[in-house]
Amino acid sequence: MNVLLLFLLAQQPAPAVKVDSETVSGLGARNIGSAAMSGRIAALDAVHEGARLTIYVGAASGGVWKSTNGGTTFKPVFDKQPVQSIGAVTIDPKNPKVIWVGSGESWMRNSVSIGDGIYRSDDGGENWTNLGLKNSEHIVKILVDPTETNTVYVCVPGKLWSDSDERGVYKTTDGGKTWTKILKGGNVSTGCSMLAMDHAHPQTLYAGMWDFRRRGWTFRSGGDSATAPSASGVFKSTDGGATWAELTGSGLPPKPWGRVAVAVAPSKPEVVYAFIEAVPPLNALYRSNDAGKTWQMLDRSQNMIWRPFYFANLIVDPRDPERVYKVDGGLIVSTDGGKSFSGIGGGAHGDFHDVWVDPNDTDHLITGDDGGLWFSYDAGNKWVKNENLPVSQFYHVSVDMERPYNVYGGLQDNSSWVGPSEFPGGITNHQWENMYGGDGFWMFADPTDPDYLYAEAQGGAVGRVNRRTHESRNIQPLPRYQEKKLRFNWNTPIHISATQKGTVYIGAQVLFRSKDFGQTWERISPDLTTNDPQKQKQEQSGGITVDNSAAEMHTTIYAIAESPRDGQVIWAGTDDGNLQVTRDGGKTWTNVVANIAGLPKNAWVSSVEPGHFGTGTIYATFDLHTFGDMRPYAYKSSDFGATWVPLVAPDSPVRGYAHVIKEDPVNGNLLYLGTELGLWVSVDGGKQWAHYKGGDLPAVAVRDLAIQPRDHDLVIATHGRGIWIVDDITPLRALTPEVLASPVAFLAGRPTAQRLQSGGGWANGDAMFVGANPPNDAVITYYQRRRHIFGDMKLEVYDANGKLLGTMPTSKRRGLNRVTWSMRLAGPKVPPAASAAFGAAFGPRVLPGTYTIKMTKDTATYTTQLVLVPDPRATHTQAERQAALDLALKMQGTLGDMTFAVERMNGVRQALDERAGKLPASDAVAKRLRAASAAVDVLRKKIVATKEGGMITGEERLRENLTDLYSSIVFYDGGPTQTQIERADAIARELVDVQREFDAWTTRELAGLNAALRSKKLEPIAVITRQQWEAAGQ
Amino acid sequence: MKRLTVALFLAAFALSAVPRSAPAQTADSLIAKYIQASGGMARMQALQTLRRSGKFTGGGGFEAVVVQENKRPNSVREEFSIQGMTGINAYDGKNGWKIEPWQGKRDPEALGEEEMHGILDDADFDGPLVNYQTKGNKVEYQGVEQIEGSDAYKLKVTRPNGDVSFYYLDTEYYVPIRIDTQRMIRGAPQEFETSLGDYKQVNGVYLPFSSESGPKGSSSTDRGKITYDKIEANVLLDDQRFVRPGMRP
Repeated sequence: MNVLLLFLLAQQPAPAVKVDSETVSGLGARNIGSAAMSGRIAALDAVHEGARLTIYVGAASGGVWKSTNGGTTFKPVFDKQPVQSIGAVTIDPKNPKVIWVGSGESWMRNSVSIGDGIYRSDDGGENWTNLGLKNSEHIVKILVDPTETNTVYVCVPGKLWSDSDERGVYKTTDGGKTWTKILKGGNVSTGCSMLAMDHAHPQTLYAGMWDFRRRGWTFRSGGDSATAPSASGVFKSTDGGATWAELTGSGLPPKPWGRVAVAVAPSKPEVVYAFIEAVPPLNALYRSNDAGKTWQMLDRSQNMIWRPFYFANLIVDPRDPERVYKVDGGLIVSTDGGKSFSGIGGGAHGDFHDVWVDPNDTDHLITGDDGGLWFSYDAGNKWVKNENLPVSQFYHVSVDMERPYNVYGGLQDNSSWVGPSEFPGGITNHQWENMYGGDGFWMFADPTDPDYLYAEAQGGAVGRVNRRTHESRNIQPLPRYQEKKLRFNWNTPIHISATQKGTVYIGAQVLFRSKDFGQTWERISPDLTTNDPQKQKQEQSGGITVDNSAAEMHTTIYAIAESPRDGQVIWAGTDDGNLQVTRDGGKTWTNVVANIAGLPKNAWVSSVEPGHFGTGTIYATFDLHTFGDMRPYAYKSSDFGATWVPLVAPDSPVRGYAHVIKEDPVNGNLLYLGTELGLWVSVDGGKQWAHYKGGDLPAVAVRDLAIQPRDHDLVIATHGRGIWIVDDITPLRALTPEVLASPVAFLAGRPTAQRLQSGGGWANGDAMFVGANPPNDAVITYYQRRRHIFGDMKLEVYDANGKLLGTMPTSKRRGLNRVTWSMRLAGPKVPPAASAAFGAAFGPRVLPGTYTIKMTKDTATYTTQLVLVPDPRATHTQAERQAALDLALKMQGTLGDMTFAVERMNGVRQALDERAGKLPASDAVAKRLRAASAAVDVLRKKIVATKEGGMITGEERLRENLTDLYSSIVFYDGGPTQTQIERADAIARELVDVQREFDAWTTRELAGLNAALRSKKLEPIAVITRQQWEAAGQ
Repeated sequence: MKRLTVALFLAAFALSAVPRSAPAQTADSLIAKYIQASGGMARMQALQTLRRSGKFTGGGGFEAVVVQENKRPNSVREEFSIQGMTGINAYDGKNGWKIEPWQGKRDPEALGEEEMHGILDDADFDGPLVNYQTKGNKVEYQGVEQIEGSDAYKLKVTRPNGDVSFYYLDTEYYVPIRIDTQRMIRGAPQEFETSLGDYKQVNGVYLPFSSESGPKGSSSTDRGKITYDKIEANVLLDDQRFVRPGMRP
């Protein structure tokens, strides 16, 4: 029966193999951070669980992080969820295991990400359930009724970029199963900007309502102008949200308003504070001492009124109603009930968003700002930086050709940094170096001069920076006589020519090119944008409070790329929907965007990627999220943009608006697509896309990608989780349909460099992020169509002569697998002694060369070649490497001799002691046997250290001398010193001396001892031979 | 012949695998299928002792000889040997002890808190799923999750000491392919993950012959891998082997 079934199974055609996330993610990825600059924290909450403090941190675009040790360490707990932008975090006041998270940050800057509703965890963040409000996109506050915790209120600003009905205040009374909108905005752009509760009377709620809208070229907080009507206001309910009344009491400023923040003093709930973005000069902090009936205008210092859309949050001390914190560019606090404020941001980064005040010790504060998380233990006088949250928000990334290569990138509000792709001991925060200032975007090494790099701040403020002295020269192109402002995007594109070393491009509304490091700029295009004057009114942007920071600068060039095949072919995409190409180095330009069927107008051209295999090939991504369309758009043309094919089918699994597409430089069918919600890989030119989750890369925004052309690493710039590296993507290039259909296939990787054996780093404690290095071992990659569950599966390594060098365990997963081999031979035999010689627990490295890897899977075998090359940084000659290997093997031989010698002696000693034990203690023969055993032990102790007890005995014998010497040889690839060579010989000779002493002893003593044994009818003693010892498995 | 056995097993299970649209699974039904897939309760219970012998592979080419001996109801002895020295962790059902000879001290000592949590897991002869109620374990089925490229049934096991393990059973063959464990040590969670493979029959019971373990999120190179060359069933194991030297069983 079963045989028949087998036969039937064998007749069935192989099913089509799906290329999904799990097919490709086995390549892994490593996060190199950094947490040095960290990134924006949007919300946080904390609770004492017993004597310990548990903290939940909501990163603006990097998930939820949990600490159970007061902030020493954090772990990401939201990584399996489909969004990573966090707006609100609230711990259930009765049950610290119940956590509410509102996804979608609500500090509504131009680069803010999106969420997909409200989540709850009932197990301290291990598992999450999305409980709805899925179209809210942004949530700013969640309040749990402390008396009835199934009653929860949610403050939903709602969509930033488009009208929507899903905004306002929502309530559940069944723990999130069902939701009711209990307060609706006055129009389709008004939602809730802050919600506060009187915890003594939790039916009493105050809601700030906010009328807002962002577009690619403008923003309004309030109406379209400082005086235009707005639906913003502040409302109060005393019946749990069943009814609301707008507060219009005396003392409140006249409408229109922009963003509103509101907070109730927990220790005196009739005291209510509200920050109201009213028309200046009435934009200020307001205070009511009668639960909202009457109000008094108080502070309106700079950090009270600055950028309300980004900072409208008030936190009242849980014990002192007169102490109130206001977040802003600086963190300010009032100790006199809001009359005056002092700056307490101190050494923190700045641009604060939330504060947690420890109810047990109100001097203990935790705050989050654009640079991460900070702790104070003296009421904000001084701050400790958290060094453990790699939630950095990169915009762009590039790499250089150093060994190891460096990674360059600019970050939201965190300048432009360089860090190594690997570092002995791990990539700590200290290895990353800040090179510029402001918000950071594109950044490149100067390919013509390793001492220089290019970096920029917002609005095209590009500089050429000396990386050693950090001296920088502003080289931004400037307007001509009578010319209006050049329009540089917030995220101004810079491009380094691949074909003309030293040529740099930067885009305003026109494209600039420099061939002299920015000394002069040549305009090589006319205005390539729509030049729509309606999108150039940034001086009026902001609504109630003007906010013209370059973030809304529009009708600009947003993407530039020169063809790697022809430097005369240059592509420029604009933020207002033009895609222009020149084939003559900028003399003439053609706008080809109209040729893309199905693409809505005015889409941001978020990236252009000229093909590596056809001069007319171009890939482009388009971003319409500023129009409220969050779908990905990516297209390809093979004829300079005349005709296009879409790369993301409507039924594709790809989610999130598209930021970047890259064509693999070796395999044109291999594409990488970064969207707001992750990284996607296609091995068939865009027909199928797989969500790449290697190394547990979450669904974080992937803003840029770089492929290191020498090492074939994919470097991923995430906006919220730092830089990730997929080491050696060569195997992805080999994932053909034939391979995918095969049960098992080895996939060739890059030649394996035998990394220099180097150490580094130091004890950092546990509160420091350390980025992972690539493995020092050789990596062997294979594909399996199914997981291996039953039967043996192993890998063996053979040298060129077919000699088996080692056996490795295998990885069993479906899809791509990676297994490492140490590139070391087996370690030596080492005689037992008082302590282990761990340095001699490793074999020497094999020499560079070609090795054969053989996989045995059940009874089937597969083989591949593994090429090992020296670390290119190494200066050791082949002869030196051979000398080191020869010496190591010789010492292994000596250690084997030594082990045999000791075991030979131990055999005699044990035999003597065993025979003596069979005789009365007073027997003369017994005494003689024991004396003989002691004599042999004296010899043994010339070879091995024997003092025990767990102390530093300092006892060194031949074994300790030789294993120490051995480890110094096998952990260095170059030639041994003459001293080492001579020392190895000396120890070997000393060993021979002891062996001779033992041989002499046996010649002298053994016959007599055996005669004595025979007289007692005891078995004579024989010394084992080398052959016997080896035959016994040694 | 062995290959044929495995192939037949695979074929039989492939055809009898429950489609994903089948009625909802429960913890008990999944455990029953796991026991059946492993060889059945009778064969499992017929195993009185197990001696697993093989190789530990660590980072950078470090290798050691390992032996794990288990005896019902809950004794275990684990040996780890290099250079003629053997470290021992053991538990006799009451006391856990160890010998760590590496720096010249060979006295048996009591296992520390972390080690005790670990060895109690290892001492559970059939694992925490089999007869979980009588062991005081709670098991919850938490749905299908993708793990290491495969769909797996996720079972949450809570032990009487509060330690939690997530057992991921392959959806086709019902054997565990991965175990994630969270232990509360001095009030703080310690998290580990173990991947399992190379299942082969021992006296009619499928047991994993390979495993890879490490702290949660660690890379493969940072994990310890154990490959057993042989697993012997019902070998004679004296109770004294599990007892701390100098003490009586």
